[in-house]
Amino acid sequence: MPSSISSFERAIPPRPWRGLAFAAALLTIGAAGAWEIRCRAWGYAPTLNDTPELWARQRRVVQPDSIVIIGDSRPFFDMDLDQLQAGLGQRPIQLALAGSCAYPMLADFANDQSFHGTVICSIVPLMFFAPGGPLLQNSADALKSYHHGTWAQRSGNELGIRLEEHIAFLRLEDLTLEEMLKRLPIPNRADAQLGPPLPPYFATVERDRRARMIDGCAQPGKLQDRVKYGWLPLFTPPPPPSYVPADAFMAAMHQAVEARFHDAAAAVAKIRGRGGKVVFVRFPVSGELKKHEDKLTPRAGPWDRLLKESGAPGIYFEDYPELASFVCPEWSHLSAPDSVEFTKRLVPHLRAALAP
Amino acid sequence: MLFNSLTFVVFFVLVLGGYWTLRSWTARKNLLLVASYIFYGAWNPPFALLLFATTALDFYLGARIARAEGPRARRGWMIASVTSNLSMLGFFKYGNFLLENTQWLLARVGIVYAPPHLDVFLPIGISFYTFHSLSYTLDVYRGVCAPTRSLRDFTLAVSFFPQLVAGPIVRAADFLPQLVTAPVLRAGQFGWGLLLMTLGLFEKIVLADTLLSGSADAVFDHGGPLHALDAWTGVLAFAGQIFFDFAGYSTCAIGAALCLGFHLKDNFRFPYAAMGFSDFWRRWHISLSTFLRDFLYIPLGGNRDGVTRAAINLMIVMFIGGLWHGAAWTFVVWGLLHGVFLVIERVVTAVAKEPRWAQAFIGQLLIGLGTYAAVCFAWVFFRAPNFTTAARLLGAMTGGGPKGDAILSTREILQVGSVTACLLFAHWNLRHTSIEAAVARLPRGLIVGVWTLMLSAIVLTQGNGHAFIYFQF
Repeated sequence: MPSSISSFERAIPPRPWRGLAFAAALLTIGAAGAWEIRCRAWGYAPTLNDTPELWARQRRVVQPDSIVIIGDSRPFFDMDLDQLQAGLGQRPIQLALAGSCAYPMLADFANDQSFHGTVICSIVPLMFFAPGGPLLQNSADALKSYHHGTWAQRSGNELGIRLEEHIAFLRLEDLTLEEMLKRLPIPNRADAQLGPPLPPYFATVERDRRARMIDGCAQPGKLQDRVKYGWLPLFTPPPPPSYVPADAFMAAMHQAVEARFHDAAAAVAKIRGRGGKVVFVRFPVSGELKKHEDKLTPRAGPWDRLLKESGAPGIYFEDYPELASFVCPEWSHLSAPDSVEFTKRLVPHLRAALAP
Repeated sequence: MLFNSLTFVVFFVLVLGGYWTLRSWTARKNLLLVASYIFYGAWNPPFALLLFATTALDFYLGARIARAEGPRARRGWMIASVTSNLSMLGFFKYGNFLLENTQWLLARVGIVYAPPHLDVFLPIGISFYTFHSLSYTLDVYRGVCAPTRSLRDFTLAVSFFPQLVAGPIVRAADFLPQLVTAPVLRAGQFGWGLLLMTLGLFEKIVLADTLLSGSADAVFDHGGPLHALDAWTGVLAFAGQIFFDFAGYSTCAIGAALCLGFHLKDNFRFPYAAMGFSDFWRRWHISLSTFLRDFLYIPLGGNRDGVTRAAINLMIVMFIGGLWHGAAWTFVVWGLLHGVFLVIERVVTAVAKEPRWAQAFIGQLLIGLGTYAAVCFAWVFFRAPNFTTAARLLGAMTGGGPKGDAILSTREILQVGSVTACLLFAHWNLRHTSIEAAVARLPRGLIVGVWTLMLSAIVLTQGNGHAFIYFQF
């Protein structure tokens, strides 16, 4: 039998590799340092990226009797966990996710046989009843990370947290190469069907996923305007695809929304059947965005019907003067100081709604 | 564990530190073995047991092949190895595909059969490590490789973490000899390994994921007719994405192995500058094409039995090659298309003397671009989730479809166009050389500058954690 000695050896280019590697490393560190200084000068500060892995990290903290907050970005910004802990006697777990639909999270808790705690669920009808698209995809990504995340992803997230807490340019929403390329002022074709841009960086996120609006957005100015005027196109349902007849598309959407009412009621019934509680909350919204939402999804429509069909209690901010008096600086979320006061005022209503 | 993750950075630093600190070669191999199983088990620990079971079985069968008296017994043990490996691959990867097709076939003859859906997870990299392991018994059978007496060495050869889940398909015959004595780092080997790792990560994170994948995904996931410009952009984006993704992984693997003192062979040699399809397969996924050549094409008879038989053999090999990539008929069509390209090329080169124009620069350029266009055409079937999407895309690309939607921004089109132009330019200029020879000619300052740019771009993308495309195979 022939010998199995292999003589293969890769060629190594004859260069002073130790010195070259050292020089490249030094220059890269220098470039990263300069970029960090530039980003801080622009107003960026170290904060966590709200990734699916960070969401899954908090989801794993949930105990059978926990209080959890689910929904879109409004409870994410508007709920102060310290105030809730003081008022409810238990620190809630923040599982609201910006740009997501709350229904998959609600269904996930309904299907978690061990869970018999309390769900505080934010309702923005245009998001909660979304039949598909990125809102549901964002929820699905977070749930996938929770249910199927690997040990490697978990440890990567823990390492990432430690870096993001100290480095300002680690901002996935704004400062990645891809996001910077997207901001290049290159005109598009007249007939291009492109989605509206997502808002830029305007919040900090802590380890327990408490989000706070940054001052630059809470005060009038360029950033606030950029965020504010970005909401209307984002909250406008896209037109039917060119390749699907409009009436067939609308019929399918109607069917999906009807199914969502039924499924949400069923999920609430499951949680309540195990002794858990669910309360729906409509958080403050202001300005043109409020007019837009009221026009597309008036309160008498989805909100009232959801409460009726699910039998769950609801808190609609406009029903209470002490909650209705808040103004969202960029129309959709409260400033960080206002979120503390708002939560303090919301707590009695939550206690009442959750009372046996 | 993904190469493009913080976890891997820490893991690799710890492994490297431990490996070069230990003095005993046995201890170093043990460390690499444990590290490789941690690397694999970090995805799904139970699958590490499956990996070990495959390895242990082939270790045993390799020994039986070597000890067997008489060709029939040797052949029997070899068939046992092939059957066990392919059965496992078949169960995990092709079980549902087989059931669905059986259901379809029975329905054609009026039999209603509702098979149960096998709710099985596909173990990551199963196609790769099955071939790593299988290559050992086949090479022992062929007499190319002596059986190893060390289960530890063979287990390490199959599971060596740089190449474990997405290749290159490293044959035990190439790797086992490197485990006999402790490697000695040659001058520059570590630094060059780090540069290759940087290049691989840059290809994956910056070029494939950041600059190309968005356009490819948007186009292939679009449910309606597309504007021709968008269809072409999407297909070119995918052609670039799959190269940078897969070649990036291979380059990382080669670099990581070099840092540990091991030598893996090239898996890509500037394939988009190929002059024809035989040349393409000498440059693309070389470890798979040589595996299929040695263990399938040649045993089938290769081109020894005439043109017709060679053509049939090629089609069989490319059918299997397509199916190896995924349990779907779209992959089979992709493989068969390449088979047809290869057969046509053989027929043309057999009957026609190479014309003078084909040797001129313009002729070479045209042949190269024609090959690239045909390869892109085939990629449509590889990436499309179904034949409807593939047909719609091809219709849009050839102007045969209805007026379609413009779904890409001008920025995305420019991005894909620029990266594709740079890719083709680089492959064209490097087609007769190697990356090592090219780098050896570069001034030091330029090497440092390019290295710094790649590292900075990787930092700037902030690692998106996208899995490598070939993990699913």
